[in-house]
Amino acid sequence: MKKVIELRNVSYDYKSSADERTTGVKNISLTVNKGEFVVLLGHNGSGKSTLAKLLNAFLIPDQGDVIINGINTKEEKRVFEIRSKVGMVFQNPDNQMVASIIEDDIAFGAENLGVERQELIRRVDWALQVVNMHAHKKRTPFKLSGGQKQRIAIAAILAMLPEILILDESTAMLDPKGREEVLDVVRKLNSEQGMTVILITHYMEEAVDADKVFIMNEGEIVASGSPREVFDNEKAVYEAKLELPVACKISHMLKKDGFDIPSCLTVDELVEGICRL
Amino acid sequence: MGRDITFGQYYPGDSFIHRMDPRAKILLSILYIVTVFLCVSFYSYLAVFLFLAILILVARVPLRSVLKSVKAILFLVMLTAAINILFYREGSPLLQFWVIRITDEGLIFSAKMALRLLFLVIGTTLVTLTTTPMNLTDGMESLMSPLKVVKFPVHDVAIIMSIALRFIPSLMEEIDKIIMAQKARGAAFDSGGLIARAKALLPILIPLFVSAFRRADELALALDARCYNATPNRTKMKELKFGYRDLVASVACLLFMGVIILLRFYPGV
Repeated sequence: MKKVIELRNVSYDYKSSADERTTGVKNISLTVNKGEFVVLLGHNGSGKSTLAKLLNAFLIPDQGDVIINGINTKEEKRVFEIRSKVGMVFQNPDNQMVASIIEDDIAFGAENLGVERQELIRRVDWALQVVNMHAHKKRTPFKLSGGQKQRIAIAAILAMLPEILILDESTAMLDPKGREEVLDVVRKLNSEQGMTVILITHYMEEAVDADKVFIMNEGEIVASGSPREVFDNEKAVYEAKLELPVACKISHMLKKDGFDIPSCLTVDELVEGICRL
Repeated sequence: MGRDITFGQYYPGDSFIHRMDPRAKILLSILYIVTVFLCVSFYSYLAVFLFLAILILVARVPLRSVLKSVKAILFLVMLTAAINILFYREGSPLLQFWVIRITDEGLIFSAKMALRLLFLVIGTTLVTLTTTPMNLTDGMESLMSPLKVVKFPVHDVAIIMSIALRFIPSLMEEIDKIIMAQKARGAAFDSGGLIARAKALLPILIPLFVSAFRRADELALALDARCYNATPNRTKMKELKFGYRDLVASVACLLFMGVIILLRFYPGV
């Protein structure tokens, strides 16, 4: 499998003044393969957004190397090459839009890359179709719901044809319906287009069908593995101040009380597990 | 509300004028302004009036929205007219007392001034009524592009204008929220004298500025994430094209200008 992201012993500190430093991330090593769905969990201030910014060459590591598609983010001249391959969607959809008409906003990134006009038009149509917002092409984004706006923000990134999509807390401001809409689009992109996705969140239920899950706490990766492995690491979850999904919690409690039940990620699994008892 | 603000005065339609190239509209409105300043006699003002009437009919915009913009400057028109009447010195006096002297020529002059102002506003309003602010911005960018030669950041200015337009509705929404939040804490915005009211605005402005800066910070990241300034050879999805409409309109405007110039030689008041 092709490695698209590789971090080797990466550390980064924020310098607020000459001798004052706050740790961003500490000694992180990880790899992400092409087409993987990776979820990065952590509470506020755990360093997960810092990690995201390191992947996009917004921040350059103090120590260690970040290698994206074989390019080290320290190579200043190739910053735009990295950024066009690593698309980043942020938390507040309102603050990511530059134009008052949706199609203009979608085209912006690709225009910046100098994509030729016919291709631009094709990409805008395609991106809007992927996020299922084609009907809104010529409208303004202001009347849309949060979930719709965030889908527009994703489409705006897709028009640059990135290979990796990073969602930095992009579901945090949305209501449950909006979150589901956005996650559906992201899952579809991952499964149908083979897009490598890095979803950063503090909702553990969003990690249930990930390929790989990382939990961050105080700038370090404290747990990693498949969702089941990570969810079973109750100590790490608890220390990172995260909340397990209800189904998972119940299955753990039942197990502690001596019932023979596997750890469950979803309500369906829990129902099946209980029925088998 | 969002829509109203974003589209400014724009009156949706697909008339001949709506479908003209924004650059042609901007250039021709400059030509029109020059033409209005060339008017001397009342005959030429009549010609301008007829020309505007035709334009309004062609643009198929309701007279009401045209008059709305006239209403906005009515006070200015009246004030200048009054000052002109009172202080114009030439001509034979019709009425005289103390320092005030109202003359026949003064009346004529101020009437012409008032008409000139009104016609200027109506003419330029027709442009904003038939063009979306986004199209106007695109038109300006394209018209300014020769300035690139002298290293003027044309594209940056265009992006600044487009972002300003884009954030007006967001900031309006924000103001509404802040006003409500401050009211919930017992702030009174509509009582007290002028100074008390001005002071009451501070608790709105401060949070508004804080949030505007926060937004700007995030927007800057988002612009970088979308490779802003990646290449000097930026492309554009929307292309402006001069068409036969722009040619027809240009000919019409030039003819109109010719008529006004000819009328300068025709005797009359």
